[in-house]
Amino acid sequence: MRQTKLEALEKARALGPEGTIALLEKRKLEGRGGAAYPTAKKWKTCRDAPADERFVVCNADEGEPGTFKDKLIIRHNAETLVEGILIAAYAVGAKRCFIYLRGEYDYLRPRLREQIDDVLARAKMEGVTIEIVRGAGAYICGEATALLQSIMGFRGNAMCKPPNPTTCGLWGKPTVINNVETLACAAQAVLFEDWDPTLRLFSISGNVKNPGVYEFPLGVKMSTIIDVARPEKKLKAMSFGCFGGIMPVDENMQVTPETICMEKCQHGAYSIIFIDETNNVVDVAYSIAKFYTYESCGKCTPCREGTIRMLNLLKKVRMGKAVKKDLELMRELATHVQDTALCGLGQTCGNHILTSLQHFPKDYEAYMKK
Amino acid sequence: MMAKEKGKKDSRPLMNILHEVQEKHGYISEHMLKQIAVEQDIPIARLYGVVKFYTMFHTEPQGKYVIEICGSPSCVLNNGVRLEKFLEQEIGAGIGETSKDGLFSLYKVSCIGCCDEAPAMLINGEAHTKMTVERLKLLLKKLRETEAKQAEAKKK
Repeated sequence: MRQTKLEALEKARALGPEGTIALLEKRKLEGRGGAAYPTAKKWKTCRDAPADERFVVCNADEGEPGTFKDKLIIRHNAETLVEGILIAAYAVGAKRCFIYLRGEYDYLRPRLREQIDDVLARAKMEGVTIEIVRGAGAYICGEATALLQSIMGFRGNAMCKPPNPTTCGLWGKPTVINNVETLACAAQAVLFEDWDPTLRLFSISGNVKNPGVYEFPLGVKMSTIIDVARPEKKLKAMSFGCFGGIMPVDENMQVTPETICMEKCQHGAYSIIFIDETNNVVDVAYSIAKFYTYESCGKCTPCREGTIRMLNLLKKVRMGKAVKKDLELMRELATHVQDTALCGLGQTCGNHILTSLQHFPKDYEAYMKK
Repeated sequence: MMAKEKGKKDSRPLMNILHEVQEKHGYISEHMLKQIAVEQDIPIARLYGVVKFYTMFHTEPQGKYVIEICGSPSCVLNNGVRLEKFLEQEIGAGIGETSKDGLFSLYKVSCIGCCDEAPAMLINGEAHTKMTVERLKLLLKKLRETEAKQAEAKKK
């Protein structure tokens, strides 16, 4: 992550809105929220949608457990982030911009506000405002449609798509929603000729000595990441955030969306939680199941009911009361919920169960023998 | 359809208004709910639904210090559960409860994004990271002493 010092915005203004979008397309900037959607395409759709008003929203509702890279950007590189927002506003023709800051990061807000005002004063973009909307502890609001509901003052329920927010978002107007890292990258991609589109911020945590945020190119070897993270004991498993599922550690694995997805794991926002051999994977799966039960918005039945049932089954396993049939039931339930849920949360909320059952049957057995 | 409703009297986002009310009063009372509903021209049932949806908004009085323990896998893997048990014992209240002296309210939250400094918790919105039972003991002692001093000063 480099500083752009408002030079990126200047360059964008020289290029014009269309030129800026074309440049981002050339630089191959992809969304960093997890879906890897091409940013230029998103901005272009929004710009081309007929409307008298457009909005830009920065998604700073980084709620995925094990992910904390956006916090780092807000803390140490807010200027570049704000510049990215202004470039987006300029490119799509928006006046009102929002930053949806999660409630858990509220202590970052006063400083962020100062920096926004500072950049706005220097950027001299007429009529452009940036408002901070304060989240209040709902993970689902990181999902684009739920986030928009929250900004408009509603319960943060996910909505059916289409229409996509890009054409019909805040108050029915075209809205660009980008994650913090994406917008900060947009500013850098505009300014620097040598900007590398494969660089990603990895959030590393768990049973390691050196947890933190590291920048690696895609395709980095897992052993390189482990070397940097320095585990104290032998590693047993790694969890890609919460929704990515729990996988055995493979030192030769190259971290790219393809290699991870091929193993039916989601890359998400490249957050890795390492688990060492002293821990039972079932305990981790249990904490993840608790998380999903707590955070399901309750709108669609599979997710609302399924997450509770999965948690109860895991509880049964941990109490030593589960039989083989329960594990089968758990597998079946997880698959069904994933197939039928409405939004990304529900569609991934069984991954930790499916992957842990597949890769760590011994951990389950350890509980069942008791 | 609802999404297209424009009914906003105050141009500020409702979320920010609710946060400000809660910061001022410690919680969002029925009285305040009614007032906001009138000011914002929102049906009170819908407003109540919004307040209840977000875990950080409270409709009951809270302890002076709201402690939110992180329950993410990273914190669980780094002794987070031990802290939780210790806190419950120390303040004499379970998750979702307020201690009898009215000082502490305890909550368990999803992830507060301090995984690199686990285990972590928020106390009145401020992050406290790399917590241990010893550090927590000291912190609670300090908070209690401050409160006792303030109470004494009030008496005089």
